[in-house]
Amino acid sequence: MTDTLLQNLINGALTGCIYALIALGLSLIFGVMNVVNFAHGDFVMLSMYLTFWIGLWAGVDAVFTPLLTFPALFLIGLLAYYALINRTLRQRYVTQIAVTVGLMTFLRALTQLIWKAQPRALPYSLIQGNIQIGPYTILASRLVSAAASVLAILGVYFFLSRTWAGRAIRAASDDLDAASLVGVPYRQTYALAFGLGSALTAIAGGLLMTFQQVDPTMGVRFGLLSWCVLAMAGLGSIPGLLISGIIVGAAEAVGMSLWDPRARSLIVYLLFILVLWLRPRGLFGRK
Amino acid sequence: MGRIRKDPNLILLTALLGAALLLPLAIRSNQYALVLLTTILLYGVLATAWNIIGGLAGQLDLAAGAYLGLGAFTTGTLLIRWNVSPWLGMILGGLVAVGFALIVGYPLFRFGVKEVWYALSSAALVEVLRVTFLIWSQVGGPVERYLPYHEWSLYHLRFATYLPFFYIMLGMLVLALLVNHWIRQSRLGYYLMALGENEEAAEVLGVNTQSCKLEALAIYAFIVGVTGGIYACMYGFIHPNFFSGPMSTEVAILGIVGGLGVTYGPVMAAILLVSVRELLRAQLGGQLEGLYLVVYSVVLILIALFRPQGLGPLVRQAYGRLLSRVAKE
Repeated sequence: MTDTLLQNLINGALTGCIYALIALGLSLIFGVMNVVNFAHGDFVMLSMYLTFWIGLWAGVDAVFTPLLTFPALFLIGLLAYYALINRTLRQRYVTQIAVTVGLMTFLRALTQLIWKAQPRALPYSLIQGNIQIGPYTILASRLVSAAASVLAILGVYFFLSRTWAGRAIRAASDDLDAASLVGVPYRQTYALAFGLGSALTAIAGGLLMTFQQVDPTMGVRFGLLSWCVLAMAGLGSIPGLLISGIIVGAAEAVGMSLWDPRARSLIVYLLFILVLWLRPRGLFGRK
Repeated sequence: MGRIRKDPNLILLTALLGAALLLPLAIRSNQYALVLLTTILLYGVLATAWNIIGGLAGQLDLAAGAYLGLGAFTTGTLLIRWNVSPWLGMILGGLVAVGFALIVGYPLFRFGVKEVWYALSSAALVEVLRVTFLIWSQVGGPVERYLPYHEWSLYHLRFATYLPFFYIMLGMLVLALLVNHWIRQSRLGYYLMALGENEEAAEVLGVNTQSCKLEALAIYAFIVGVTGGIYACMYGFIHPNFFSGPMSTEVAILGIVGGLGVTYGPVMAAILLVSVRELLRAQLGGQLEGLYLVVYSVVLILIALFRPQGLGPLVRQAYGRLLSRVAKE
């Protein structure tokens, strides 16, 4: 009993690292420009489909597709920013939500149009097999995905703290007026943050496809999931995001094993509502 | 003429209501058209009710499906198990929805959950209820539960045609509009509009924002819950998928597109967008799955980008211009 529980906990925590990566993208978008992006989960879904498509036609393994999908999603993010988000920056948040809900519907309908409604999965991945540690079996693809997610999160962390563009993003998020005064071009910074936030879903999408299938309705799940991780972490703390992602992933897995497989989302959402009630700033939030 | 100048909306609404009452005569035997019209009315009712919490009070609620489902399940279960008439069942369903709204709304407002977080937590509620009813096999479960079939029974609110449901839904719409109109002119309405504009400022002026928001939420939940009861009888079954996230989002979108706080805006948005969606589905659905939604979402984005105040003010302007021209001649 405890063995199964621990086994599930490990699996959930590993998947949670990918959730943290997705939420990091959302955190860049929401934290920096205060844009409520309801379509973030659908960017994940789109990345998964692109991974599937590239994997199938070019024979590239899902682990390596982010080399192609990362720039693609960055461009799609820029396009979405300049075509839609840029125009809503001065509008009320309900208008932003209406626009991003439109984008969400658009992406879902588009993928349904191109790839039909049935679930899609890639036949195999380079990273296969299991790793046995004591009584626990760990899927190699999950372990590699978790490691890659943590690496990507570290990469973003260094980008934000060491490079000029990264510092500009943080400055714009702290105080837009002051940042503008010292010469941060805020439109470009916003575009960069939105592009990067979207591009991070490409890595997550590629990693997810190594052990999962994709269907057009998946976007909503990843969307709410990443908002949940973000709510728990609060804004401005990258280690907090990682921990929250792991908590959410573990909670999901425990709920599935102890209660009912269908209760997966239930646990996450209950956790989400509880966090909002009790810690509206998140567990690790700075603002 | 003086009365018309005072309240041109009243004349317009009466004319529209008259036209709506006569509409089924034109399409008497066409059940598809009746379902379409009733669906438009259904969304009109939901979006008009949403306008109270979303438009006036400025709380972006995405839980319409939660209250709709609770109303449907209360009404349906009472009818299936104990043969309770849906007329009573839908009132009880509305009350169950209100109870749930208060239990959830109190801590949300008490702890100051606002804006996007309120929106997301209400969206999460719908999913929580859906999964709960999916697992709770005594009442819900994954299989549809059918309401008893009757050719024409007023007691069971079951009919072989959609015609009665058209009129019932039309009645609900008039009711929802009247409630909206009444709230707008009541003290509660002014408080809601004040806190919808700026919550801190309203609080400083002595508005008890928590209880105002709760009242608005309860009224909204009641209307949606009652509508849920009618919804269950119209479709003849209940299923956990009634707790629908996409439907809840769409209700909010209709409210936004119609113009926040504009009493009749959501209805116009429902008439326009739901019929566009259904016509696109009928035209394009057969050829390419999803194409109608691509077009629909583009329409939605364009309206949100270029008409952020919604369609309501636009129509009001056009109507005002028309009136003044008539008055001149």
